[in-house]
Amino acid sequence: MRVGYGRSPDPASAVRQAVAALALRSEKPALIMAFSGGKLDPFAVRAAIGEALGPVPVVGGSAAGAISRAGTGYSGFELGLIAFDDPDCTPRVVTSHALDRDERAAGAEIGEKVRGMVTEKSVVLLLFDSVASTQPPRLHHASAIVSGFNEAVGNAPVNLVGGGLLTDMNMTGAWVFDGEGVSKHVAVALVFPPGVEAETAILHGCRPVSAFMEITRIDRATVYELDGEPALKVIERMLGLPIGGGRGQELSLMATLGQKQGDPYAPYDEKSYVNRLILSANAEQGSITLFEPDFERGAMVQIMSRDNGLMLDSVKRGVEAINRTAIGRQNLLGLYIDCAGRASARSGSSIEEADLVVRGLDPAVPLLGFYSGVEVAPFAGEQSRPLDWTGVLTVLRRRD
Amino acid sequence: MTELRILDLGKLERELAYYRRECNDLGARLLRLQEEQSQAFRESRRSRTVAKLIREAHRLADLCATPDEIGSSMLEVIVENTLCDRAAFVRREAAQGNSDLFRVTHAIGFGSDPPAEHVTVPSAPAFFLTTARTVIETPAYELTGILRMPYVLWCYDRASGHALILGNQSESNVSRPFEAGDQELVEGALSVYIDVMLRKRAEVELRVAKATAEEASALRARFIATLSHELRTPLNAIIGFSDMMLPGSSYRLTEHQQSEYAQQINDSGRLLLELINDILDYSSLAKVAPQLLLAWAKAETLLSASARELAALAMQNEVKLEVRRGEPGLEVQVDQLRFRQVLNNLISNAVKFTGPGGTVTASARLRPDGMAELAVRDTGVGMRAEDIPRALEPFQQIDSGHSRTFPGTGLGLPIAKGLVEAHGGTLRIVSAPGEGTTVTIILPAAAARIVEPAPPPG
Repeated sequence: MRVGYGRSPDPASAVRQAVAALALRSEKPALIMAFSGGKLDPFAVRAAIGEALGPVPVVGGSAAGAISRAGTGYSGFELGLIAFDDPDCTPRVVTSHALDRDERAAGAEIGEKVRGMVTEKSVVLLLFDSVASTQPPRLHHASAIVSGFNEAVGNAPVNLVGGGLLTDMNMTGAWVFDGEGVSKHVAVALVFPPGVEAETAILHGCRPVSAFMEITRIDRATVYELDGEPALKVIERMLGLPIGGGRGQELSLMATLGQKQGDPYAPYDEKSYVNRLILSANAEQGSITLFEPDFERGAMVQIMSRDNGLMLDSVKRGVEAINRTAIGRQNLLGLYIDCAGRASARSGSSIEEADLVVRGLDPAVPLLGFYSGVEVAPFAGEQSRPLDWTGVLTVLRRRD
Repeated sequence: MTELRILDLGKLERELAYYRRECNDLGARLLRLQEEQSQAFRESRRSRTVAKLIREAHRLADLCATPDEIGSSMLEVIVENTLCDRAAFVRREAAQGNSDLFRVTHAIGFGSDPPAEHVTVPSAPAFFLTTARTVIETPAYELTGILRMPYVLWCYDRASGHALILGNQSESNVSRPFEAGDQELVEGALSVYIDVMLRKRAEVELRVAKATAEEASALRARFIATLSHELRTPLNAIIGFSDMMLPGSSYRLTEHQQSEYAQQINDSGRLLLELINDILDYSSLAKVAPQLLLAWAKAETLLSASARELAALAMQNEVKLEVRRGEPGLEVQVDQLRFRQVLNNLISNAVKFTGPGGTVTASARLRPDGMAELAVRDTGVGMRAEDIPRALEPFQQIDSGHSRTFPGTGLGLPIAKGLVEAHGGTLRIVSAPGEGTTVTIILPAAAARIVEPAPPPG
């Protein structure tokens, strides 16, 4: 697998740079995965890739930014390419165009197809457009897609990782390269051959800043009450400032709701929390709407704060752990699916945490990453689930 | 015992409530501290935009070949640092009453949906921003229309006519809405752009001026070298032949030789005179314009007069020379003596370079844009496109292989071009080998008119 990075407001120029960086030999790749900055015209990017590489299927989509050793950025003009030129490592592509109708059904559609394809443990990379609509803000919920996928795939030996695609950090939009063209409301799964396995590290960065609170009223992703009080009032009291109205979106910068898995009174462990970002707030209803609708009434949650220091420590530890597993293996690709909120422009971290991955990951492993809206990875040794405010670092390698 | 347990439980509950409260208070403080620190970092990143632009300015000025390219590169830096969705530089083109007409010179972030090329802004403000509370009326309406984004940050430098506008789709874009404090940022970015762009423009102009000066210097050197050669050739002939004819010369010349050499001396003398006259004419071209005695004359009359003057030459070369009738009332405002010189030169050139049986046609017309067009077309040898600029340089004809076949000083065309330009017009040559040549003079609309013929008396 080869990686290439380009950056230019001109899509053709960005593609030329990235294709040149792929340093392909004479043979054309069998598949291209592309993560394209949201300010680049996707149709022009797709056409330029076709012009440069011939009639090759392209999967991937918009990205709030791209991460590579040749450059990292989130101006909207970045382009990251991965070329699959070895048939033994080239994934098969499965798509569902049903996201807009029923996210769970779309996940199930992909899960069923995947179950019919895999016999041995297989790595599956799931990508979809996170933003369903901007006005009103509505997301394609990863929890519904992944839940549908997990149910349909059953006990088939699948290692699922993935990410939600965004055009920018403001969640203005999203689109997908579905193998044929540019689409909306699409989930794409890349099913790798059994000869490819994956090692994944989830990089965290939040810590609880409140006692446990019970969700006493919730409707799908909208939390109305915490401990019987309007949820927004609780958050405002914590932050010491009024939110609501147009500023609701700013909440996603500040706090998340976290649900601790396992023993709630066990010592703090970043790996035991599932975080949910706040998408919007409604001052009239006193409610907050989360990125995912997978919390339920009665769930015990805590208000979580981003902790940039913790985030950087987590990245260092995660990269070191991945490097230890990479020793002596035939590593094919390091894929970093990084929550856009972790970028320093958004988190306010003085150090770009993606740079720690770029600098820290074993230089023998080709690396490409993108800034995402949601991340999907195996959690706590169980089935994969969607995560917020995490970085998912996966190294694909040949199975021994 | 039970009472004790109840007391203990009550105490524990109070203690738990205390810790919960403290936990939440401390957590809230932590949350706020984290947010304040993050906000401070985001603000410092934003405020570094201008510093980065200044730092990048030299690199961009070196990288970009033209002042025009700097705008796009600068917008890239601005968008990357401010993380806005769209941005554009606009320039004032004209005033329309109380409004200014701006042209979008550079834009970024539009994907496949480019911005409108022009926009009219009534009383364009020096600084403006929109928030969710802004009423969408002038100038918010026009300014948000430039980027087609509801939240914009605008600044305008009236002195230079340049403006910068940033736009966001969502109000709290990445970190916070635009605010009055952003004036410094946007003005700083605009002033760096104007500064670097003007510096680049000056650099380009300097380069062009240097190249022009070098070209002029090389041209002058070539001119002097050719001039020396052209003066020496007839002078050598005069001196050589007259030496042979001098009393006491060792040559014993026959009467026929004497007569032939005297003719050679005479021809060389005349050529020298013609050459010196042309040189004087050419060297005084820069001073011609103020001395022109402009008067209205019928275009057809001017062409016919030149054609009559050159009819003998045409007959001698067996070339058909004709003046095509155009608009009868077309008049041009020219110095008749000087313009006749131009037409004579063009027609005589055309006759000279057209072989026996060929045709030279002179014509005049009023173009739809109001300018006058006078053309001399021949069916002669023609020339290659790359030779056309050389034909307009002094002595190039003499210097070419044609010099043996076609006599002349090689200054005729450059003089004609200079005289046409002194009239405010242009001279253009279209030619192809074997297909002939068309030389076209275009005079400005102010120097052309149609005069209706006077009604017959009575």
